[in-house]
Amino acid sequence: MKKNIKMAAVLALFCVISAGLLAYVYNVTQPLIVQNAKRSFDLSLKRLIPAESFKQEKNAFVATKGKEVVGYAFAVKPQGYGGPVEMLVGLDKEGRVLAVKVLSHKETAGLGSNIENQKFLQQFVGKTAQDKIEPKQDIDALTGATISTRAVCYGVREAIDQCWEIIK
Amino acid sequence: MSFWQDFNRGIVSENPVLRLMIGLCPTLAVSTSAVNALGMAAATSFVLIFSNLVVALIRKIVPDQIRIPIFIIVISTFVTIIDYVMQAYTPDLHHALGVFIPLIVVNCIILGRAEAFAYKNPVLASTLDGIGMSLGFTLALLAIGLIRELLGAGAVFGVSLYNPAVAATIMILPPGAFITIGFLMALLNKLENKVQ
Repeated sequence: MKKNIKMAAVLALFCVISAGLLAYVYNVTQPLIVQNAKRSFDLSLKRLIPAESFKQEKNAFVATKGKEVVGYAFAVKPQGYGGPVEMLVGLDKEGRVLAVKVLSHKETAGLGSNIENQKFLQQFVGKTAQDKIEPKQDIDALTGATISTRAVCYGVREAIDQCWEIIK
Repeated sequence: MSFWQDFNRGIVSENPVLRLMIGLCPTLAVSTSAVNALGMAAATSFVLIFSNLVVALIRKIVPDQIRIPIFIIVISTFVTIIDYVMQAYTPDLHHALGVFIPLIVVNCIILGRAEAFAYKNPVLASTLDGIGMSLGFTLALLAIGLIRELLGAGAVFGVSLYNPAVAATIMILPPGAFITIGFLMALLNKLENKVQ
């Protein structure tokens, strides 16, 4: 009996130390993590569309130069092979894709993770609502990563749809 | 002399992947390219060395019956701390290694070394064992990653060498990892037989 209590006490002690340590590290790092995420998001937006400032309106980030609207960016989150693929799609004011950027994903390392490659994402530049944007039709699928490819295609189509809602 | 043995053991004679056959899950998952392999090896090495050190420090106060839950608490605490710290201070590195970090928790090399070595040995020997095992893991992963990337994607460290359309895609899919590990194990056995 006495032994059992000692074991429970030691285990509890380790849990308390671990929880305390994690709480401390979390509190110190969390503000920095949030700040980093925001900074990298802003940077991604600037790289997507050459504009001076961005303003969030509902689900769109409206890019302006002076007073003129030069394009729209949309954050979309299609379902990939290993989880949601978070991506940003930038479009010009006619609804043509300017650039696509993958922010985070959980796709298979070495196969699905190739959706980050510029060469792959470059295929989507210039696509409009008239294009099919389907793997094997007008998009070359990644080797061994059909589902990941399809997810990105779906995300781009969704962004184009959202863009049309605004333009029309 | 015995310190040298503690260090040396993990590299060839008890190489975790090719000899002890542990830690195969992350090995299969991330050895698709040399860069991925190095990233995983770096993150795992860090956790392995420090978990060995801490387990050796606390081994006298940990009751035998509950040592495994306590090892798991120590290891997962380390992994979580590294995850937060990297996200906060080195976001670029975290972006590159982020996918590997949750895999470290399921890497049984770390729990295996805590149980088989650090729990029974003093701090210095345990730390050296951790460093040696990390080196062995790194070398094995790098070898597997290089072979699979070269044959499966036609590249070395992301630099394309020949047209990937003629590469054997199976090598970057899971079966390619088993084939590569099998051949490497055979090679290691052959070399060791020759030395003896």
